[in-house]
Amino acid sequence: MTLQPIIAARGVSRSFFGNPVLQDVSIALLPGRIHALLGENGAGKSTLINLLSGALAPDGGEIAIDGKVLRKLTPSEARRAGIAVVQQELSLTSELSIAENIGLGAFPRRFGLVDYATLARKARAVCALVGLDENLSTPVGDLPLGRRQMVEIAKALFREPRVLVLDEPTSSLSAHEADTLTKLLHRLRQAGTAILYISHRLNEVMRLCDYVTVLKDGKVTADRSLQGVDAAGLVRLMVGRDPGDLFPKWTPGKDCPTIVSVAGFSCGLLRDIDLDIRRGEILGIGGLVGQGQEDLLLGLYGALPASARQAAFNGTQSLPASVSKANALGLAYVPADRKREGLHLIHSIAWNMMLPHFGHASPLRLRDRAGERELARQLADRLSIKGDLTRQVQALSGGNQQKVALAKWMPSDPPILLLNDPTRGVDVETKREIYVLLRRFAAEGKAIVLSSSDTPELVHLCDRVAVMREGGIARMIEHRELSEEAIVAAAMGAEPARSAA
Amino acid sequence: MSNLAPTHEDRLYWPVQRQRNRSLYGLFVVVAAFVALYAYLFPGLLSVAGISKFAQSWLPLALVSMAQAILMLTGGISLAIGATVSLGAVIAATTMMGPLGVPGGIAAVAFSGLGIGALCGVIAIRLRLPAIIVTLAASFIIAGLALLILPRPGGAIPGWFSDLLAGNTPAALILLILAALLWKLYLATPLGLSLYAAGENPVGAYRAGVPVDTARIAAYALSGLLSTLAGLFIAAQTGSGDPVIGNAFTLNSIAAAVLGGVGFLGGRGTMRGAIAGSLLLSVMINVMFFLGFPPVAQYVAQGLIIIGAVALPEITRRFRRAR
Repeated sequence: MTLQPIIAARGVSRSFFGNPVLQDVSIALLPGRIHALLGENGAGKSTLINLLSGALAPDGGEIAIDGKVLRKLTPSEARRAGIAVVQQELSLTSELSIAENIGLGAFPRRFGLVDYATLARKARAVCALVGLDENLSTPVGDLPLGRRQMVEIAKALFREPRVLVLDEPTSSLSAHEADTLTKLLHRLRQAGTAILYISHRLNEVMRLCDYVTVLKDGKVTADRSLQGVDAAGLVRLMVGRDPGDLFPKWTPGKDCPTIVSVAGFSCGLLRDIDLDIRRGEILGIGGLVGQGQEDLLLGLYGALPASARQAAFNGTQSLPASVSKANALGLAYVPADRKREGLHLIHSIAWNMMLPHFGHASPLRLRDRAGERELARQLADRLSIKGDLTRQVQALSGGNQQKVALAKWMPSDPPILLLNDPTRGVDVETKREIYVLLRRFAAEGKAIVLSSSDTPELVHLCDRVAVMREGGIARMIEHRELSEEAIVAAAMGAEPARSAA
Repeated sequence: MSNLAPTHEDRLYWPVQRQRNRSLYGLFVVVAAFVALYAYLFPGLLSVAGISKFAQSWLPLALVSMAQAILMLTGGISLAIGATVSLGAVIAATTMMGPLGVPGGIAAVAFSGLGIGALCGVIAIRLRLPAIIVTLAASFIIAGLALLILPRPGGAIPGWFSDLLAGNTPAALILLILAALLWKLYLATPLGLSLYAAGENPVGAYRAGVPVDTARIAAYALSGLLSTLAGLFIAAQTGSGDPVIGNAFTLNSIAAAVLGGVGFLGGRGTMRGAIAGSLLLSVMINVMFFLGFPPVAQYVAQGLIIIGAVALPEITRRFRRAR
């Protein structure tokens, strides 16, 4: 007899703004099994979790609980069916105590009031399970991040779930806490709980899980037992796209003098990093989301306080202390969140492109409208931004918005470009244009630092790729060794697959 | 483990309450210092009559500060508090002498406050409109309503009721303690605690099954109730209704809540802080009056103290980080 899955998705699809994120995905969570869900950034893992917890409705396919197909799964139905999700971003209230947070939304009551005695007893029981020994009355705001993560897990256990979904639970845990979690999961498995475990740490997955579903670009590429699979095999299942002719042909840059060099650089998450940036090449920054890539760019750009043992920036011997100093040194930064940080959406294209220029213009002098128009037209030509430049930026597609965000730096011709995920949410055609543009900039002798969550982009566009992990550079991969496998393996801390001779 | 007698292990409520005091000790010390200064300048304070009189001048501000703090805890704010206070006062002054009598008048005041508050809440929360705009608009409408009911100061409150609330009795203090206790009771309900979660992290709270919208709308209703009750008390104090008497309370309620450490972004602060903040503001005004500050200097000093109270924690935090 086969076990019946507690919850199963059958052939579900979901798209956002016409962009398919999940296509015909099936997954079944069985009692007493730890099921791993793997995939690269943007493979559709979070969307799948949201479908299973009722936070999103699928466009197609069906979701069944205990074999019964549900017409529409709402979050409260999912909770009642015993599905608990520990999200990556925390859902705790810092002014409330540990116990109150654990009980929130499911308080035991007596006479309409919160029954503090029962709450304390039950909260203590789940806290013991996850190894939280802090006083239950401690406000959650006083706890370090790892402990808050444990409170989040305790909160899920408080509802005695039949299905427990953990979205990267160990990303902020210490080794000891992770160990406690492992023991806990083994106990829950024994008790017949179905567990869906999402992690980017392959070793952890190999050690802990029984079964794996791998997503790639919204499709299932593997749905099998973990027995007899090795880490390299899993990595292969997660990557490997056909780059087609999306990327311009790569030619080695000649004569690449170093323009920026830092040693012992620390900033935000980053600890003690050594990095050289050279003219005429594109330096890729890869890795999983949030390993310090943004801190690196912002630190170099003077937007976050940073320190370094040694620094050389385009001739000076110190780090730029502010954004305007960085601009003066020839750095330009294009942020990832172009809508919030890069552009002023309700203003015209031309106005946005002139913005850095306004900063340099002498105050109290009338604007040179004709000159501005001419400059805007030249920039639009250079970056092939089509149409009327007096339109609001928000009327443009994501790709063209990105081009405007890039264009605004061009008048000052900065020799160093820091780009944070410039092709996120950009259509393929514009991506290609941006790639051609970046290679041309490199050929003109600019230094380009490209942080990207798109692995093929790093492989086919960059001269070197620094793979970041936990606030450090896990590996610097030179162009001849670049491959998606190498980048993903380094990002996830798996041993690089050695080809057998 | 026995369910009947809670063991030492199960004591959670009081430790939680103690934790809520922890960031307020500084404020309590300042309040105590000001009260001591006031008692030194005005020894008459330390008598039943003195305390009664002081509590009467403090109670309306304390009630509106609570009304404002409830909303600020959910991440909202109200600019309609002053108008709602006026409305409460005119409704009290026009109904209590009529056929409804005093109990009917109290009920009319309470229900109008709850209803108006709930309506503002439904509009702001269900339509996802910014609270500051909705309550600004509501303040005009409510002020208009108050003027419709009573175009010029007038109406009346039965003498015995005025004497009961605002005579030589400590009734105001008792009412304030009662309000604080009822708030504690509310905060011990699941809906009350949801207030904090809904204010700080609405998405996370919603995912955890907290009735976020209900908690917020309930907060608006309670806020309206507290405001009209403040108006009722003021009407009893003055013996009549005045359709613009509440105007100053809108900004003073925000000032008191901010002094009491209630944050603007939701989920930060405590009601005991807001009440202490209103006490500080009341005492400050009285002390400055006794020291003979001209009114203009009083306003300036009030503003400086509020800025200082908000800036101080931020400055100390930076100082600590720098070291």
